[in-house]
Amino acid sequence: MRKFLIVLEYELREYVKNKSFVMVTLLLAIIGALVLFAPRVFDMSDFLGTSSGEEQESDTDGEKETMLLYDPESLIDRNMLKQAFPDITWQDADSTSMIEDKINSEEVQAGFHVISYTEYDYYVLNSSLYSDESSNFETVLSASMRQNYFEENNINGDEVEALFNTPITVNEQILGKDSTDNYWYSYILVIVVFMLIVFYGQMIAVSVTNEKSNRAIEVLITTTTPNSLLFGKVIAGAIAGLCQVGVILGAVLISYQMNRKLWGGMLDMILNIPAEVLITFALFGIGGYFFYAFLYGAMGALVSKTEDVSKSSGGLMMVIMIVYFITLLQLSNVDGIAMKVLSFLPISSYSAMFVRIAMGTVEMWEIIVSFVILAVSIFAAGFIGARIYRMGTLRYGNPVRLTAALKELRKSK
Amino acid sequence: MKLEVKNLIKSFAGTEVLHGISFEVEGGRALGLLGRNGAGKTTTMRILMDVFKADSGEIYLDGKTFKPSHEKIGYLPEERGLYPKRTVIDQMIYLARLRGFSTSQAKSNAKKWLTRLGVYEYEARKLETLSKGNQQKVQLAATLVCDPEIVILDEPFSGLDPVNSQILKEVVGELIDESKLVIFSSHQMSYVEQFCDNIAIIDQGEVVLQGDLKEIKKSYGKDRLILSAENYPLNELNDKLKTDGKYPVKIHGKTKDYLILNIEETVTKNDFLTQLIHSDIWIEYFGNYEPSLNDIFVEKVGEEDEEA
Repeated sequence: MRKFLIVLEYELREYVKNKSFVMVTLLLAIIGALVLFAPRVFDMSDFLGTSSGEEQESDTDGEKETMLLYDPESLIDRNMLKQAFPDITWQDADSTSMIEDKINSEEVQAGFHVISYTEYDYYVLNSSLYSDESSNFETVLSASMRQNYFEENNINGDEVEALFNTPITVNEQILGKDSTDNYWYSYILVIVVFMLIVFYGQMIAVSVTNEKSNRAIEVLITTTTPNSLLFGKVIAGAIAGLCQVGVILGAVLISYQMNRKLWGGMLDMILNIPAEVLITFALFGIGGYFFYAFLYGAMGALVSKTEDVSKSSGGLMMVIMIVYFITLLQLSNVDGIAMKVLSFLPISSYSAMFVRIAMGTVEMWEIIVSFVILAVSIFAAGFIGARIYRMGTLRYGNPVRLTAALKELRKSK
Repeated sequence: MKLEVKNLIKSFAGTEVLHGISFEVEGGRALGLLGRNGAGKTTTMRILMDVFKADSGEIYLDGKTFKPSHEKIGYLPEERGLYPKRTVIDQMIYLARLRGFSTSQAKSNAKKWLTRLGVYEYEARKLETLSKGNQQKVQLAATLVCDPEIVILDEPFSGLDPVNSQILKEVVGELIDESKLVIFSSHQMSYVEQFCDNIAIIDQGEVVLQGDLKEIKKSYGKDRLILSAENYPLNELNDKLKTDGKYPVKIHGKTKDYLILNIEETVTKNDFLTQLIHSDIWIEYFGNYEPSLNDIFVEKVGEEDEEA
């Protein structure tokens, strides 16, 4: 234990002394905080949508877009049109070719040719993915048709419209979990833990391989045990990674809490994470991170050159990617069988069980069993990793294949 | 302190590379492990250090099973290596602490050995910024930082210039004087000859010769003489001794200065000297043959190779 602590301390100290590691941490934390403090310095009311109504009106007056309407039968109700398109100035066109010319010369944004109450042509230069102009126009056209019908048949249109559009008040009482709110936290945290594992896992694997490539391993393994060495190195790398993410995330979360009002709660869905979600993330997310950190450490021990690390860790990366995509795809079905199975496997419980806790229905015994499996797997990965590390000692040259390494471990038992 | 290695056998991938290595060494005496490349010296040392497990065989220290992790051992592996991007003093302290020292003890020991080996001025520098020779000295300081009782050095002189070799020679000499148990391998026979009391020559995974170096030299020089003449060049002297048929000697070998002769068992050296004095050979050198370690090594390993 004493030797493990010495290795841990030495390796951690190297991270702290590493100028680029410290600089990146501080720089990202400062940039994150500066962005979130920006509304205190700059007027971002337009961007944040927190400006007053008057300001908005005066702003929008000067920036109104123009659209053309060719309505030879005068079917459209102009008042309705203005209400549906408050930011648009409407001009009449006398032909479709005029609409086309003005759109092509970019004098107007779009144009409509009303053929009948049930048919119209929509002209636009470039169609936008998020444009709602066409659907708004359809609403106005169909309302105009109803208005016309009511007038022709002497029906009180206002009464009928009021009947069809009676507002209904919904009081949602969520007794379990609000999946809408938790969806974004879960989404973000699944990505965070994925990035933690991939980025820092690779860093840990490289640091283990370095020991072989600089030939220090023979001195080290004759000085202490492989368990102390691998556990010390991996846990130091994992702690360094967590500290880096913690400092950056902490700076961002604190800065956001200090400026939340100025942001108008705009980033609540990402940055106002409830404590219980953070706790389950800490248990499963960090557990999974340690599990993979040890596996990455073992992969690092299979090669003797840092440029070969990606070769040995390719399979591991594939598993992580598959788990990541399945979890994200199943976010809308967290109580499905796929997520239930994944939430018990140590390779995937770090995200699947965490998401189930955040968004689905899960029994306490399931959480305990899953966490125990994960905890046991972390230690198993550590001890197997240490044996691979020891076995890989003095094996220079071509990378050792994982299957060959495991076979040899079985033989040496 | 006495270390006994008994009948070590080791195979790699089904090929036996050590076929029963045995030797022993005591504190205050140095054992030189000699052998050609691939003879099995490094594998033997790695088994001693528990880097590899032997397939069979025993190692005892003072009669008890030897466990390297329980002893204070300074090991300089053949594959030199420390952390190139870390400072000299940090890694020295780290290694000393791993061998059981407190931080303050580790620091003072690291400084002591860096000073002794003349690299103290580089303590705050990263290892990679030092010259190769100085890196070697730091490596040796790291080996000795725990004040070991047993010192195992695999090719310690390789890569050292004459000045650094001299420093290393002095340090190894001091270790022997301090009754440490020293085992080292080297291709440079002159160094082994200078401070090894015992040698073990390993060839193709077997110890082909071992024992007290003086005794070995004596036994190799027994019944052997050296001879050169003022009036005969060595080749002519060689022919004369062979063809005359009256001299009770056989030519064993030749150096650039003299012939090495095996004298017949029934004749004394005095008899042969008297015979020479009364012949037409004007003696330039006549004396007992004292083989160098190099001669013994070449002869022994050569013999083994021929037999193989």
